[in-house]
Formats: sequence, structure tokens, C-alpha cells
Amino acid sequence: MAEAAVNIKELEKNQEWWRVAEQKRSKRLDYLRKAVWKKGAVGGLYAPGIKVDLERAGLFTEGYFANLNDPGMVRHAKAVANVLDNIPIFITDQAQLVGYVGSAPHTISWLIEGGSLLNEEVYNEPGIAPEPEAESLKKMAAMMDKWNGYSVQDRFIPYVLSFAAEEGVKLLSGAVGWGLPISISGYNGKDYEYILTAKRGFEDIIAEIDRRQEDMKDKARKKAGPEYLHVGSRMMNWEGMKIALQAVIRYANRYARLAKIVAENYETDPKRREELLRIAETCERVPAKPQRNLQESLQFDHFLQVVERFESGGGAWPSRPDYYHGSWYDKDVNIDKRLTKEEALDLVGEFMIRAHEVGSFFPRWTREGLQGITGTWVWTLGGVKQDGADACNDLTVAFLQAARLVRVSNPTFAFRWHPQVKDEVMRECFECIRQGLGYPSMRNDPVLITNVMHWHGHPIEEARTWVHQACMSPCPTTKHGFQPMRMASATANMAKVVEYALFNGYDPIVNMQMGPQTGDARKFKSFDELYNAWAEQLKWLMNLLTMSVNFGRVMSPEMCPRSFLSSISERCVESGQDAASPEGDRGNSWITAFTWVENIDSLAAVKKLVFDDKKYTMDQLITALEANWEGFEQMRLDFVKNAPKWGNDDDYVDDIMLKCLREAAAFSRVIKDPSGNNWPILPENVSGNIHYANIVRALPNGRRLGDALYDGGISPGPGLDKKGPTAVLKSCGKINHITDGRAFLLNQRLSPTQLSGEKGYQLWRSYMHTWADLGLDHIQFNVIDDTTLRSAQREPEKYQEVIVRVAGYSAHFVDISRKTQDNIIQRTVQGIG
Amino acid sequence: MPLCKECKKFFPVKEDPNKGDCVQRVVDPRQAYYKAKPVGASMDASSCSSFEKK
Ligand code: SF4
Repeated sequence: MAEAAVNIKELEKNQEWWRVAEQKRSKRLDYLRKAVWKKGAVGGLYAPGIKVDLERAGLFTEGYFANLNDPGMVRHAKAVANVLDNIPIFITDQAQLVGYVGSAPHTISWLIEGGSLLNEEVYNEPGIAPEPEAESLKKMAAMMDKWNGYSVQDRFIPYVLSFAAEEGVKLLSGAVGWGLPISISGYNGKDYEYILTAKRGFEDIIAEIDRRQEDMKDKARKKAGPEYLHVGSRMMNWEGMKIALQAVIRYANRYARLAKIVAENYETDPKRREELLRIAETCERVPAKPQRNLQESLQFDHFLQVVERFESGGGAWPSRPDYYHGSWYDKDVNIDKRLTKEEALDLVGEFMIRAHEVGSFFPRWTREGLQGITGTWVWTLGGVKQDGADACNDLTVAFLQAARLVRVSNPTFAFRWHPQVKDEVMRECFECIRQGLGYPSMRNDPVLITNVMHWHGHPIEEARTWVHQACMSPCPTTKHGFQPMRMASATANMAKVVEYALFNGYDPIVNMQMGPQTGDARKFKSFDELYNAWAEQLKWLMNLLTMSVNFGRVMSPEMCPRSFLSSISERCVESGQDAASPEGDRGNSWITAFTWVENIDSLAAVKKLVFDDKKYTMDQLITALEANWEGFEQMRLDFVKNAPKWGNDDDYVDDIMLKCLREAAAFSRVIKDPSGNNWPILPENVSGNIHYANIVRALPNGRRLGDALYDGGISPGPGLDKKGPTAVLKSCGKINHITDGRAFLLNQRLSPTQLSGEKGYQLWRSYMHTWADLGLDHIQFNVIDDTTLRSAQREPEKYQEVIVRVAGYSAHFVDISRKTQDNIIQRTVQGIG
Repeated sequence: MPLCKECKKFFPVKEDPNKGDCVQRVVDPRQAYYKAKPVGASMDASSCSSFEKK
């Protein structure tokens, strides 16, 4: 014991936090943490031993085709029910929470109904077909054949071709957008105010639907009229919702039964037997009935998340666990004292691990954009209650402490900072950041609540419930405020905007006229001419992406009905509509703007060196860019070093940033989402800056084809923020974080040495005061030194739990590509104070 | 022909003894767990390598 204590102190002194965590966490957490099979792809490849789950794919296929003639939502619900009733389930030793999106811990799920593009990738991916491989491949091929003509993609494409064939080809080129506008695996928001507040369990919802069906039948039979024309489809949708709810109750009961069988027939340790019987009791209770304690509340939530992913995948994990489970922590730990703090911490840590282990098959382009992780699962902590009071509670602190013990890269946290947050909570946030987790990212709650109201008209009480719908975008969790889905494909590779403005909309990488022909840039005589071309390309791209996503969303109830998601959403239970229907949804859209700052630095460089200083002509510049700067190295260095760069509190370039953002903001109000609401942009990258490195050609900021793009939404280019951290904040503070866009991602690297001790905390606090005073909506930190990162590159096996903030997410450093690792090392380490 | 219901790992469902769960202990390279999959009581167990007579 004494030896371990000495050891921990030494490790803390050396800031080897991942080793400290190993020593400090309970035996149970240590076992569960190490039991996880890594599902994120490493360098684009799945780790040895990871296999695609053929059980979900097979059972869904069987359930779907056995009920082919049923109405859409009923058919879909029966397919999901077939999965939930028959998929093998398991309970890991020492676990207290159960539920996994697959038939075994080493499997990743496969949404076979999505379409042939994904299925071909699954089939061709080396090493992931379960053993015996030949037999699995045969089975996979047979299942894939069945879906020909029935998959979401196959049914959706004819609709797209009917009106936008050319745009469809441009989207599929992969140059400007990300993914397909089909709703098979979007970012599913949830009506947590309806489902997680212990006011109802699934049995109550089933009873409520029965009442609604009776009521509608009655009314529709009594009075003919247009208001009841939809009665048939609504009745069927309700039927689908009930099938889904009943199936989930049976699924939970399967776990209860397994836990009991193990307790009564296999387990010899009385303590573990007791735990298994508690699991059984928990799964008999939830989600059929409302939760009564912390374990039941966490289990209820986890069942929601698992089943949602069986139904349709889920690229994100919108969640606010301290807010929705906090009262149960308080009851169990502080009031009833049925749990000690340590026991509660075990549950909280395991709750994170249960999410961390979930993984689904990603096509290669997604794996490159989301290196090392399985989705952008940013859980929201802190913030205010609907009445504006501080919402932080003891569970907020427990989550922040558990994060340091389990050190998972997914989920991560984002903390809703506001002026009432107590110092003890800020210290917990700081401790996570100082210990190199890269999270929580800090969000400015007053700014974002106003932003939510500004862009989409949510009333203030609703706006105050916001959670991260994916990495960054705030979305409420109420009946009309929650957004049931958002497709990843409203994601723009924005560096293409300035590229197309310089090359008349033509893209040699995909060999296509992509954007509009905005003129031969060699002949541009003024900066305004270039800017106008830029603005035209921007609007073209924003429209292309949103038009297709709008269409995909509206088609979603037909293409990919959501029986389960609908059944846990108040507005759907009330109306009998599919959750994806835009009716009753206030709207919460955003366009993710990858690679945004390249536009700003490029435009500033041309303005300065070509039009103001007249050092070069447009003709010379285009020639150099066409040559990928080869043979023009001196000139390139001039564009890197002697043109103003964003992030240095220099109005010359900062004004261009504001002009560009405001151009986008104005157009955001012209294009509309299916609810008639706005489409603001949200500059951030996941690891799109690496993914697009070989897709964006040379630009006037000095980049060459193949160079990594900048890493953050409004982060300065690596090494280009020469004037220190306050200058970065000042540049970013010129942006209006309410009206200029949806949110703005800022990465900062700080020195671990400088942040050590109480002095380090005080320095950070005062830095955060400046951040808040300047009205920035977001900031996240990497606090890790180059020596550790270089050592991790040399000996990755010794640094498995070293975490870095990549972009809107964190990843274990050893799980990202060498290029991304180098890009993180290159980021300027800022000294603060 | 051996049947699942004759196997130690078969646990019948009370309400319908024709159905049950095959419960097995699995130890993989990272973790150990108990796994259940639905099976029929009268399922042919002759090709099951995990069959254990009750
Ligand atoms: S499947 Fe095999 S192991 Fe399982 S119950 Fe049947 S015979 Fe026993």
C-alpha cells in the first residue's frame, strides 16, 4: 500500500497521468477499462481481432424480408424487434451495467440496410469477417444480394436523380461534402425531457399510444374531413412504436434472465451474486417502468442509446448525464446513503466505458476523418436549469473525476460554463484539462443560449436545455426543440471555396466543373473581383449540401422509419408521426464548415501581396499554384511569412474573416431547412484537415497539395499564431459568436509545466476570464509536451492511454495517423499569463 | 440425436419450456463474460461442439 502511494506521487510529479489513473481506479474499473476492445480504426485499419457483427445484419435482414408487405414503420419495427429478441447478449465479469450494440464485445455493428456503397466496403475490408472467413463472406454476399433494390441508398437514389443528377454526382465525388444525405446513421437528438425525467416508463407510453389510437379511431369514424386523411398512416406508425417499445422491454428482460441464471447457477462469490441479482432487478424495472435510483437511471439511459444504434446507427451521442441523472446520485449518495461515493464513481466510470466500447463499421473516408474513435460523442455537463439557476451538481463532479480514472477518448465532455459555476467545479474541469484529457471543452453558456434563440427561435427555457448534438452544435432536449436527426453530409470542405474562386470552379482532383464559372482569376483586377467570385462559390456549396440534406430528411420517414426514436419522443407519441418528420420540429440545422480558415489566410495573402503591394500578379500566382508551388519556393515563403495571418490580432486579416463569416451568415437565412428555419455555418474540423489534405490543391496561404490543413474551426494555422495566446483570443473575440454562425471551434495548446500547481490553475482561470469577457463560445486545450508525444510515437505500447484533442473530439494519441500526430506536435504551445 | 434441452447449458423459459437460452462462459483475449442466445429445446445438438450432457 505504502509502495503504491509513493509510486503515485512520483507519477504525479512526472505528470504521467495515464499511469496515475491505472493506480487510482478501483479494481473493477481497471478490469472494465482494459476489457474494452478498441473499435476506432488505427491509421484507417481496424485493430486485429475486431470483427463485423453478422448477427445484427442477419437478424435485421430476416425480420425485414419476413414482413416486406407491412407498412414502413411496422416493417422496420419488426426487423428491429427480431434483432432484440434473438441477438446473443452478454454480461462482462464485474460489470454492473449491461447492453451492447452487437453479439460479442469484439464486434462492430453493420447497418446492412444502408446501401451497397457501405456493404461493398464491409465485404472488401481485410480481416473483419468472422472466422471461418470463407463461410462468413458467403453469408455476407447472400445477405447483400437480398438488399439490392431495397436498401435505403438504392431506394433514395432514383428520387435524387429525378431532379438533381448533376448535383448528386458532385456530392458523391467526395471533394466538397462528407457522406450521403440518407438518414441511416445521423446525429440523433432526443427528447430527454420526455423520456429521462422518470415521469414515465415504456409501459406508460404504450398505454398512452393505446389511448391516442382509440381517440383517433373514434374521431375519424365520426366525422369525415381532411384532418383525418392521415389516420391510416398514423395508426400504423403508432403500431410500429408499440412493437419497438415492447421489444425493448423484452430485450431488457433477457438481460435480467441471464443475470439471474448466472447468479443462481454459476457465480460462487456472494458479493458478485448480489450484484448480478441487482442487475436482474434493474433490467426487470427499466425501461418498462420509471427509474428509482442511480443504477436504474444510468441503465435506462444506456438501453436508449444501445437500441437507438440497433435501429439506425448514431454518429453522435447527444447527452447531458449530470443533469438527467444528478438527482438520483443525490438520493443514493447524499440522502439515502445506499451508495458510497466510491461505489457511485464505479457506476459513473462504467457508464462511460459502456459507451466507449460501442463501435460500428465506418467506410474508409469516415475513418480517415474520425481517426481513432467511433463517432463524435460529446456529452454535455454543467450549464443552467430551465429557470436559469446553476445546474451543476455532485454528479457533475463525479463525471469529471471518473473521466480522469477511465481516460476514455470517447465519449468526451463539453462543459457549459456560466458565471455562477462554483470554483470547486472549475477546478475539476481544470484538473481534467491539466491531466491531458483534452476535455472538457469549455462552452460559453450565456452566449450559446442566446445563439440558440437567435438562429432557430427557441424560447429561453427550451434553449437552456441544450446539449451538443454532435461535436459542437447546441440543440435543446424538449418536445419541439430537439432535432431527431441531422445528417453528417451537411459538412463542407470549405477550402474548396477559395480554390474554386481561383480556378473558375474547375476541380482537377476530381476532373470536373464543380462550382459555377466565376471567371478566369488571372484576369481579376481587384480584390473585390476575387471576393465576389469567392462569395458565389460559397453560396453554391452551401446550397448544394443543404438542398440534398433537406431532401434526405423529408424522405427519411419513408426510406428509414424510426419506430423506436419516435416512440420516445413526445411529439410523435402525441401525433403518430415519424420522428424524422419536420412537423413540430423547430429546427436546429447547421452546416459544418471544415477547413474554413484557409479561405481567410488565402484571401488576405492575395489582397496584400497581389493587389495592395503589387509584388506579384494574379497570373504569376495562378501559375505558381498550378505548379503546386514547385519552382516557386521563394514566392511561396513570401506568401507564408509576409502575408498577414489570422490569429494575431491584426485587423487586416481579421476584417476579412468577419466579412466572409457575415457573407455566410446572410446566406444562412436565405437557404432554409425543412422546418423553414436557418442553416448557419459552424467552422470546425474533426480530422477533416488530414482527410482533405490530398483533395485540396495548393492555395495562396502557402499550402501545397498534401499538406495538412489547419486543425480548428477558427484556430490559427499551426505555428502561424506568432503573437501569443491573448492575440489569438482577441482575433477570435472580434467574431460575434451569436450572429456570425452556429459555433466556432478553437484549439489551444498550453504547456503542462506552466499549468502545474495552484499557480497553474490561477493562470488558467484568468485566461478563461478573458475568454469569457471576449464572448467566445468555445475553447479546448491540449496540455501535453512534445517529449511525451515523441516518446509515444517511438514506443506506442507504453503510451496507450495518452489522450490528445484532435479537433472536435479527443483520441488516444497512438490511434491516430502519423500525419495527424505530427500536426498536433506542430501546434504552437502557448505560454499564458 | 442429442437435443439442446439435454445440455447443461440449456435454461428453459418458464412460460414456454420449448424455448430457452444457451448460456456459455466465454473468455476472450480481453475479457471474460457470460453469453446467452435463444435456442429451441428440441434443437439438434449433434453438431454442437459445446454440448455437455446434463
Ligand atoms: S447450442 Fe450447444 S451448448 Fe448451447 S444448449 Fe444447445 S447443445 Fe448446449
